[in-house]
Amino acid sequence: MHISLKKEIERSNAGRVGLSLLLLVIAAAVLAPLLSSYDPGQQSVGSLLSPSGSHWLGTNHVGQDIWSQLLYGARTSLMVGFGVGIISLLLGILFGVSAALIGGLYDKIVMRVVDAFIVIPMVVVVILVAAYIKPDLPVLILLLAALSWQGGARVIRAQTLSLKESGHINASRMFGAGRFYVAWRHVLPDIVTILLVEFIYGVRRAVFMEAGLAFLGIGDPMLVSWGMMMRDAMSFSYLDVWQWWLVPAGVALSLTIIGLTFVSHAAEAALDPRLRGAEVA
Amino acid sequence: MTHFRLDVSRVAIIILAISLLVLPACSPGEAQDSSQMDSYTIADATGDWGYPSPYLRYSRGPGYTRMQFIFETLVWKSATDFVPQLAEEWEYDERENAYTFKLRDDVTWHDGEKFTAEDVVFTVDYIKNHPDPFVTLIGPSGIKEAVASDDYTVKLYLEQSYAPFLNDIAGTMVIIPKHIWEGVDDPKSLTGPEAVIGTGPYTLADYSKEHGTYLYQAYDNYYLGEPVVKEIKFVRISEEMIPAALEKGSVNAGDIPPEVVAEMEANGLTVITAPVAWNAKLTINHQKEPLSDKGFRQALACAIDREALVQITQRGHAIAGSPGMVPPTSGWYNPDTPQYEYDPAKSRQLLEELGYRLEDDYFTRDGQQLELELIAAADYKEIGQFIKQQLEQLGIKVDFQTLEAKAVDARVEAWDFDLSIYGHGGLYEPSILKRVIVDEGFNSARYTSNEELNHLLEGQLSEMDPEKRKDLVFQIQEVYAEDLPALTLYYPKWYWAHDGKVNLYYTRDGIASGVPIPLNRMSFVK
Amino acid sequence: MLNRRNLVTYSIAFLFILALNFLMPRMMPGDPLSAIYGDEVLVAMAPEFKAHLVESFALDEPMWRQFGAYILALFQGDMGYSYYYNASVFSVIIGSLPWTLLVVGSSLVLSTLIGIALGIESGWRRGSRTDRTMLAGLMSLNGFPDFFLGLVLLLVFGVLMGIFPLAGALTPYSGLSGFSLVVDVMKHMALPVTALTLAHLAGVYLLTRNTMITVLKAPFMLTARAKGLSQRRLKYHHAGRNSMLPVLTVTGIWLGRLVTGALFVELVFAYPGVGYLTYQALLTRDYPLIQGIFLIVAIAVLIANFAVDLLYPKLDPRVSYAH
Repeated sequence: MHISLKKEIERSNAGRVGLSLLLLVIAAAVLAPLLSSYDPGQQSVGSLLSPSGSHWLGTNHVGQDIWSQLLYGARTSLMVGFGVGIISLLLGILFGVSAALIGGLYDKIVMRVVDAFIVIPMVVVVILVAAYIKPDLPVLILLLAALSWQGGARVIRAQTLSLKESGHINASRMFGAGRFYVAWRHVLPDIVTILLVEFIYGVRRAVFMEAGLAFLGIGDPMLVSWGMMMRDAMSFSYLDVWQWWLVPAGVALSLTIIGLTFVSHAAEAALDPRLRGAEVA
Repeated sequence: MTHFRLDVSRVAIIILAISLLVLPACSPGEAQDSSQMDSYTIADATGDWGYPSPYLRYSRGPGYTRMQFIFETLVWKSATDFVPQLAEEWEYDERENAYTFKLRDDVTWHDGEKFTAEDVVFTVDYIKNHPDPFVTLIGPSGIKEAVASDDYTVKLYLEQSYAPFLNDIAGTMVIIPKHIWEGVDDPKSLTGPEAVIGTGPYTLADYSKEHGTYLYQAYDNYYLGEPVVKEIKFVRISEEMIPAALEKGSVNAGDIPPEVVAEMEANGLTVITAPVAWNAKLTINHQKEPLSDKGFRQALACAIDREALVQITQRGHAIAGSPGMVPPTSGWYNPDTPQYEYDPAKSRQLLEELGYRLEDDYFTRDGQQLELELIAAADYKEIGQFIKQQLEQLGIKVDFQTLEAKAVDARVEAWDFDLSIYGHGGLYEPSILKRVIVDEGFNSARYTSNEELNHLLEGQLSEMDPEKRKDLVFQIQEVYAEDLPALTLYYPKWYWAHDGKVNLYYTRDGIASGVPIPLNRMSFVK
Repeated sequence: MLNRRNLVTYSIAFLFILALNFLMPRMMPGDPLSAIYGDEVLVAMAPEFKAHLVESFALDEPMWRQFGAYILALFQGDMGYSYYYNASVFSVIIGSLPWTLLVVGSSLVLSTLIGIALGIESGWRRGSRTDRTMLAGLMSLNGFPDFFLGLVLLLVFGVLMGIFPLAGALTPYSGLSGFSLVVDVMKHMALPVTALTLAHLAGVYLLTRNTMITVLKAPFMLTARAKGLSQRRLKYHHAGRNSMLPVLTVTGIWLGRLVTGALFVELVFAYPGVGYLTYQALLTRDYPLIQGIFLIVAIAVLIANFAVDLLYPKLDPRVSYAH
């Protein structure tokens, strides 16, 4: 199963669209200082202004430039998204691979715990915790990661199990290779593609969660976030201002998630031979 | 398994059918019996303020407002004056420090029983044993004894002379029926219809906690005659949607954000402005160096441009704070209160007098860079950011943190802070001054080191002569502004819009002890 | 399927929920009673009531005893007292629950029906223009968060066009009854249900489509075609039926997502369900209520999954044979 994931994604339409969207968002985040002329936190007297030459998307309720906030908001979404994605993935690998390779009671226990977490709705747990602890950025990332690694773990374990039965791993074990060596040299390289897919899922879920939580008012209020922008904009929905305040933030968020969705769809299709072939998108 | 016919077309037909059912009834401007006297609907963003009985309502302004349609007080207020209510006349005897109230003899409770002085005496005793959040009958505002000399005369002997008695106690304490509440040990246990039997112009027909709605029905045996409106409804609509609801005509009145005032007026609605009731403050930890220095606090005041604060964070819909706390629009305002105009040069001078020197844009003293921590709840984040910007522009480093509201309160209570942002109301009655300057609690400055100030604050509370009391309040503002244990930042402007069918107005000094809501029950009575 | 493995899973999940609910207030610095009820409330509380609470929570005893007291209270149906609402937590939640069930239930049914229908058609016509458009369209739709969809729907159809009401579940004290009441309720739930359905639709559609594609390649389909069965019969009776099963199994897990979606949508539309209640409770830091909601919601999702597990063998006869 040695598919070049990169090639597959680039070949499919969905993949291309998805990648372009993602690159757009990443570019916005990275180039934010160049593309905007204001500090997103800078308050000014001109509040709730319509879009103009000096403020491309107008200003918000305290005179902050919305366009700048939109760009810097990309940073928050991507930071949380990738942060949670990576930690989730690492935890997923740790527990998924070990469960598959060690097996036995350890496997059973880990899998029961994993399944248990999958059933519990994440947002409700985060709300409960947020009621007691103020979730600033690092805490939020850790909390979200702790509640989302389980899905990936299951898939990784399944993959590892199927590999376990394959020849080269058995051979390796017969030659006396230790479990860790097997994991590192044999399992990981072969599941890299699935790791990537899980990673993208994780990022997508985290981006959505962060925005949703910010929308509820949970999160660091000093951090520029699309969810927070939408929340603030919502309280002024009796004015026209929502058109250039709420909508751009929502669209930016949606485009990011769509980009991730398309890329993961292309990657998924690449992995699943049954879905390949007459690939449509 | 049966045959599923899951044609897309079939699904579409089903959905179409459902929408056809719904759409015809979607005509805007619906059939609602809109005779002027039939019903009046008021919008509120929160909705639920508790069951409108004395002990189950939520202890906030709107909770009291819901209750005052049903329960009444001895004395009431109109837009301009004190007016008789359950008491026709009253008299203060200075020697005995007692108020004598002559009660009406034509008042009935909603269940038909007659109202007498016994009910008043009973109420006073009951509240002494079961405290009410708005009315404290023990301590300086207390009533020593209530005596009924006949069925319709009652004399209240006060604990000590208390200037705001008429406003805060006689005009706020609702009278409850003795024949219902006698023997009720736990006031919160009375949750049924008997808990809302009062003397007021309306009875409660329905209350829904989860929908946040109230329905009141006119009490036709009301002693002042049949109320103007048959039904009053309170409905829950989120703040952003209230202007749209007013325009649509689905509600008659509601509070509106300042930005739509012009639009509301253009649509033929009447907009009324609340006399300033509330202020946002910068709380200062005057127990801690360097904030313990009066000069330092004054430097802070000169460095924060309160006019700009209003323009930027409140979009101009507020009045800049007066350092004497009493708002400029109030009858108690002392125009000679030091204002600390925005003057960063003066701030720098004051700081230099305290030994600070500017080094690389920031003030330092004895090798230590000047740094302050500002904490506030997330609601104040824009104000916090503004203050941080201003102070850093001056040369003081500020670390601004938003915390849970309760966490902020806890830290302020424990004196574990430098600066904090807080807001409170009650600005109609000067009795608030003592409560928020010297009393205990996180919502007070707890500034007791100025003897003269303490003396003045105690004095105004018991000074029964209005002119003398005003003089004392004037002095308080000057001394307080000089010492500046906390800095009032701004007074927000609040607006209500209504369609004119009922004459809504802001009661003088707020409803009862100071609720700034234009829903005086008297508007609904002829 | 329901078996020992799943029972263990559910037990662990249940225990985790209970433990989290129990531990959170007790892990906070300070008095757990103030963490449970909040300082503002405690100050107003009568000392006898406070003592009564300490006793019933067993707060002056070791942790394990406290947990026991907590479990005991739960089994007696005592979920605590919401000081803000001045009523038992249970009664406050029960009042809001029917509305959430109405909205979530309707969205679930609609999105499942439409999603499956579209998924089957798409899978059947795989590669065609219809399929590609639907796929791209629905995947894009999937990217829009439910709260954004809800807000846009509200602003466009509620505020700008004035077709739908702006808030609530029904027009209060309108005096409507019978059919007109039903219509009133439906008008109020139209936008929230639309938002939730749209947000959830794509997931159902994609799963059905993928399964359909897989099923179409299966040997039994070849046999059926060889038998000369009509297109319609092939599409629905053979392929379609089998494509629905995965959706049903995943419904339990997706219920969690729907509940989350309901939280956002209720907030946007001020719809008086459990989601709106949660938001209010969070704002006022009504800890007993937050905990009560957490408990009920998490357990409801567990039970839903449980029910799906029970139902599955009935729907897929292959499974019961394997056991």
